[in-house]
Amino acid sequence: MIGGRGDPTAGVPPPPSWSNRHPCHDHDPGHAPSGESRRRQPRGASVIRLVPRLGIRHVFLAPLLIVLGGIVAYPLLYSLWLSFTNFNIIKQDQTRLVGLDQYLGLAANETYVAGLVNTLVFVGLAVAIELVLGLALALALQRVLPGRGRNALRSFLLTPMFVTPIAVGLMFRFLLNQQLGLIPAILEPLGVRIDFFGTQLALFSIIAIDVWQWTPFMLLLLLAGLESLPPQPFEAAKVDGAGTWFTFRNVTLPLLRPVIAVAALIRGLDAFKVFEYVFAITRGGPGSATETLQYQVYRTGFSFFRLGEAAAMAFVLVVIVLLLIVPLYRRVGDR
Amino acid sequence: MRKIAALFVGAWVVVVAFPYLWVLAASFKTQKELIDPRSFLFVPTLDNWREVVASGIGDSVVSSVIVGVATVTISALVAVPGAYAIARWRAGGEVARFGILLSEVLPPAVLVVPLFLFALNLGLRDTLAAVIASHLTFVLPVMTWFMVGFFDGVPRELEEQALVDGHGRIGAFVKVVLPQVLPGIGAAVIFGFVLSWNDLFYALILAGGNERTLPVAIASYNTFRGVELGQMAVAILISVVPVLIASFVVQKRLIRGISRGGLKV
Repeated sequence: MIGGRGDPTAGVPPPPSWSNRHPCHDHDPGHAPSGESRRRQPRGASVIRLVPRLGIRHVFLAPLLIVLGGIVAYPLLYSLWLSFTNFNIIKQDQTRLVGLDQYLGLAANETYVAGLVNTLVFVGLAVAIELVLGLALALALQRVLPGRGRNALRSFLLTPMFVTPIAVGLMFRFLLNQQLGLIPAILEPLGVRIDFFGTQLALFSIIAIDVWQWTPFMLLLLLAGLESLPPQPFEAAKVDGAGTWFTFRNVTLPLLRPVIAVAALIRGLDAFKVFEYVFAITRGGPGSATETLQYQVYRTGFSFFRLGEAAAMAFVLVVIVLLLIVPLYRRVGDR
Repeated sequence: MRKIAALFVGAWVVVVAFPYLWVLAASFKTQKELIDPRSFLFVPTLDNWREVVASGIGDSVVSSVIVGVATVTISALVAVPGAYAIARWRAGGEVARFGILLSEVLPPAVLVVPLFLFALNLGLRDTLAAVIASHLTFVLPVMTWFMVGFFDGVPRELEEQALVDGHGRIGAFVKVVLPQVLPGIGAAVIFGFVLSWNDLFYALILAGGNERTLPVAIASYNTFRGVELGQMAVAILISVVPVLIASFVVQKRLIRGISRGGLKV
């Protein structure tokens, strides 16, 4: 699933004299090194090349680039510019460049810093728990049920990740609510009284909700990864009399490592976008216990209309994303 | 060991099923029963369902469908040729691939500020057009990324054969390659629709007034009318059921798509 790229000659531009209708039999010994042969193309005297004239590929690619340029690249740059201004939608006539003032202001803003820390704790803990649970579930599922039954059960276990996050947030808000909630009502006779959305626990309750919704994502990727592992190392381990734990530590985990890395990176990048649970349940509180970056952008930009400040907040997030996306790209983009 | 595994899987099945069952039950309870968390036995009532239908949730469903269909249609038209160019001809090189992955993981918080201002200046605030444009920012990169993966999987020999048979490049693409990846496109379309259907953040900010999509409508049961639990439960079910059906359809192909980088699920 995760392998090297097959075609290192990709960047070589096509010869301009390429006929569209009639595949050209061209002699180009310098252009069919190892990468081409992996695609099992005929080599030597007559190489049928699939590189078109300059043009078609650009026609195919152009709409995509234009649309993405218009709705992603341009807004991104515009947002960067906004982050260097004091833009406020109610006081637009006073807009001026303020350099790095917004960013410096954020560093001194305690609520913002709390939000940044909360978001990092949220992402770190949620991804770690989801990874461990997802792996345990994948291994258990593989052991318990073969074939069809496993697929049906897996389909059911995967459903949470398709549910609208706002619905998940609201369901758990009322399941965990102290007066109305079923879970406190079950716990109370057992002598357990927990305020799930109090200052101490609120962030961890939000993490638990994320775990409910997104452990399935880990399960999806890890189970697929487990099923695609070669059987030989496991047979060898069995022959050698290795125990379950030993096999897991020394065979399964190392083989699964690339899948684990990709799953954790993808999930981590996505977890930074946490918004709905906070919006549905705590609105950042109590105090600033559940402030998260995306929720702060929402409030600063669209309750207080300080869009310059909101843009600066968001760009801190972009920097974090860029730090994480490079290793991800190395693993999944580069093939 | 097998027993422990079975127990663990069983426990997780309960954890997953629990909120579904609760919300299903809540949708048939009266307000009085809803306030008492221990009301396990109750006479089901359809009042919540009647009220929600009468409250015009149909409009929100229609809005969500319009947004979703428009988003995936535009995305498919743009992403399919673009992904083919990237997969087969390495068009745009590394820059194109990295750019698409980056667009895919970009937090909505970054794009929502400029998109909101554009919508405001163009007079598109509180219109579905603005929501569609914002949904394209994440659905289009995800679908493109999925499609690149599916096109990568088509053996080149098929195209070579088509060229030898006298098809043009576009002919080979349309007649030979496209049919191969059609199931993949189908899965990507359904998945893109689910992503659009589930979005609250953009829809809330760009069209939180009259043109509410379903997630915005669901959120409003919680904020503006006090808490109407029963009706909220109904709205949640209306939103969740179609998506759950879709999830069973696309799961298999999703694994391949996601492991290549489908980030928002």
